[in-house]
This record gives sequence, structure tokens and C-alpha cells, in this order.
Amino acid sequence: MLGKLMKYECKATWKFILIANLMIAVMTIMANITVKLDFFSYEKPDVFQFIAIMVIMTYVLSMFAMIIGVAIFLVYRFYTSTYSDQGYLLHTLPVDKHHIIISKILVSALWIILCEFVMYMSMVILIASNGEVFETMRDSMDSIISFTISENTTVKGFAVVMSLVAFLFGLFAKLLKVTACISLGQLSANHKLLLSVLYYFGIYTIQKMFSVIYLVFITAVNRHNSFFDMYGWESMLVSGIIYSVVFYLITWYVMDKKLNLE
Amino acid sequence: MAPIVQCMGLTKTYGRKIALNQIYLNMERSRIIGLLGPNGSGKTTLIKIMNGLLKPTAGEVLINGQRPGIDTKLRISYLPERTYLNPGMKVIEIVRYFQDFYPDFRMDRAYDMLSRLQIQPDERLKNLSKGTKEKVQLILVMSRDADLYILDEPIAGVDPASRDYILHTIVSNYNRNASILLSTHLISDVENILDDVIFIKYGSIVLQASAEQIRQNEHKSIDRFFREVFAC
Repeated sequence: MLGKLMKYECKATWKFILIANLMIAVMTIMANITVKLDFFSYEKPDVFQFIAIMVIMTYVLSMFAMIIGVAIFLVYRFYTSTYSDQGYLLHTLPVDKHHIIISKILVSALWIILCEFVMYMSMVILIASNGEVFETMRDSMDSIISFTISENTTVKGFAVVMSLVAFLFGLFAKLLKVTACISLGQLSANHKLLLSVLYYFGIYTIQKMFSVIYLVFITAVNRHNSFFDMYGWESMLVSGIIYSVVFYLITWYVMDKKLNLE
Repeated sequence: MAPIVQCMGLTKTYGRKIALNQIYLNMERSRIIGLLGPNGSGKTTLIKIMNGLLKPTAGEVLINGQRPGIDTKLRISYLPERTYLNPGMKVIEIVRYFQDFYPDFRMDRAYDMLSRLQIQPDERLKNLSKGTKEKVQLILVMSRDADLYILDEPIAGVDPASRDYILHTIVSNYNRNASILLSTHLISDVENILDDVIFIKYGSIVLQASAEQIRQNEHKSIDRFFREVFAC
């Protein structure tokens, strides 16, 4: 049933994601044209410079619009399909609650990764001069790897793979935090959405407190041992797994044991 | 054979408000049962608990001898009192959705009913009128070969002419070995099809009897009797 749930989740969401990515593609082409035609040059008329500035501004705004728009869309989709009228159908399907949660998280993660890849490629295409797209990609990847992997790492390939795994769990944790907060908000008879938002900020604050405690701990440990790195994949992976498990269990518990569709 | 539904001390509270109060109830198989009561009497709460959409505060309900879960959802065909389908989907997509998730869904029966009502399978739900959407939902629910059909206010939102069609659809399409639990406050429209009657008031069961018994003992229609019991 997991495959069927994922199929219908994709069907219900793909159009919005496609439109968002098409918007980025169009803006990338327009921005690229203004750069290639050297619209910024002082030798061009003022109107060309004005057009170039407007296009680049719209390009940057479209990036922000996609990030915020996709996030809001996925949150809204989870809420409406799970805890509003459409939840009556979802929760009367003969399927396991685990499958419901996993299908929504996997499909949302898939769309976010796709959008992030499209944004990354858009920036690479814009930055690449003389059409050197692959060289620009390679240079940017080197920068990312050198940022996430500490200098004393000996096996770089393993560290790159683990960084990707850590990124995935970080993404799952973020998505599951939202589903947990929306689910907790449903426990109340009134002001469910407002409570969901309050839960989100409450949990966010607690997470920040844990980060500070962890930072103090790591700083103390690193006086003797430099294995742990606050920004390395090890910390990201451990925190990603712990938060994913905690938020998953909260979401599942509310959905399975405390469902309250009034 | 055990009753299709057994409620044992079923209680549901919302804060201080008691929605269901210590309900003990058995519903037999192969019967059309009317769950009758005024607005706010607890009908929908009872139905939601049977479908696993609400958790009881105390007591339990058994469907086919099992607590609400995956197995009971395979055997219950539920029509809620609201539109629960994604408005962006086409009718044909929703029919396929039901076929994908319910092994007892009968595609031919669904298409037959859709064509008789002249509902186009390519039409999107958001383009249909409220009454037509309710008919689509009813068709989906009645196209299953379930053990128990739970229909919450199936005729409340439609015009009197459509009510007859809906009742006809219900009676002529359900699995004969199954039971139908029909919740409504429009008694006169449904009383002729009912085998059994349950009156519910302020979250408590005030009467459970066969429709024939009520007519013989009280010498009046169920609608008339209901008005006396629930007189303000």
C-alpha cells in the first residue's frame, strides 16, 4: 500500500512543483541572456541596464518565492489531506498509519531535493562563464565538500557519502518536525493551526538550546580530541537521526492513538 | 454469528461536554438500521468512533468482533456527512483510487451508476454541484461489497427529488448479507426502508427496536413517534 499512497501523493502535488521549477527555468534563461548580452555594460543605454537589474532582481525573488512557496504548499498539503475533510478518506483507507506518514515524507523530500537541484543548476548556469557549466559545477562541489568535511578526514569518498546521508536525515527531521507540530495541534479542540505554529516555535527553541549545550560539550571535548566537528557530517547525522525518530514517533502516536477528526 | 457492531460502555467527552454516555449496543447483520436523533445527539460521534476517526474516552466498539483498524476498514464502507474527496481530482481518478485501495470495490457497478446519473467520468469534482458531489460519494461507497455500510446523513443536503434516487440507490446496490447503518434526522424520508431503529438523545440510547415493533406497539409511524420522543 505504501507504493499506492506515494503514487497518489505524487499525483496530488506534481503540478505545483512543475510550475515552480518552470518559473525558475524561465528566469534562469532570461537572466542568462542579460548576462551574455552584457546588458550591465556602461556602453549600453540606461534602459538596458535598468532591464538587466529588474531581471536579476526578479530572478533572485523567484528563488525565494520557490523556497517559501514549496514549503507552504507541502505543509498545507499535509494539513488538508490528513487533518481536514480529506482526512476522512485518508484515515478510513485500509492502510497502516506508518505508510501514510512515510509516503508523505518521502514524496515531500523528493520534491524538495528536486527543487534544490534545479536551483543549484540555475545558479551554476548563471555563474558559468563561456558555457563552462561542468567546470563551474566541479568547482562548486569542491567548495561544498571542503566546507562539510573536516581537514583531518582521510577517506574523502566515505565522508562525501555520509554527508549526503546526513543531509537526507536533516531533511527528514525538518519535514517530520512540521508533521509532528501539526499533529500535536490537532489534540486541541480549538485553535488547532495556531497551536501547531506555537508548537513549532517551542520545539525550535528547545532544539536551539540543545545545540548550544552540544556546542559547549564539543568545545570541551575538542581540547583533547578533535574527532567531533560541530559542523561536520558526524554531528549532522546524529542530530538528524535523533530528531527524525522523535518527530516521527510523535506524528505516529497522535495519528494512530489520538486521532481527533471533529 | 456475533453482531456486526458491539458497543460496550462507549463514552466520549469533549472537555466537560459528554457526547456519548455509556452506550451498550448490538447491531445485527443483514439489517437496515436507522440511527435517529436530533442535531447534536451524538450520531456522528458514534459513527466516527466506529470508523476510527475518533478515539473513545472509555469503553470500546467492536466491528466484526475487532476494534477499529485496518481489518475493519476493509469491511466498512463509510459515507461521511461532508465532502471528503480532493476537489482537484476527476471522477474517473477517484473511481480508480477506490479500486486501488479497496479490494471489494466493483468498477462496473460504479460506472453503471455514474452513467445512469449522467455524471461524466472526465469531469473534475470542483466543477460539480454540491448535490452531484454527494451523489458521486454515495456511488463510490455503494460500489463496494462491504459487510457494513455506514451512511451519515446521506440525504440531508439534497433536494426531495434526489432523496428518492439516493434511497433507491442504497437499497438496490448494497450487499444483501451486509447491514446498513443510516444516520439521519429526516425520518419520514427513510422510515419505509428501515428494519431496525435506534433513537439517540444527548449521547444516550433511548430506544432500540424493530421498525415493525414500533408501528404495532405505538400505532403510529416512526416519524410521528420520533417527534413525540424528541419533543422540545
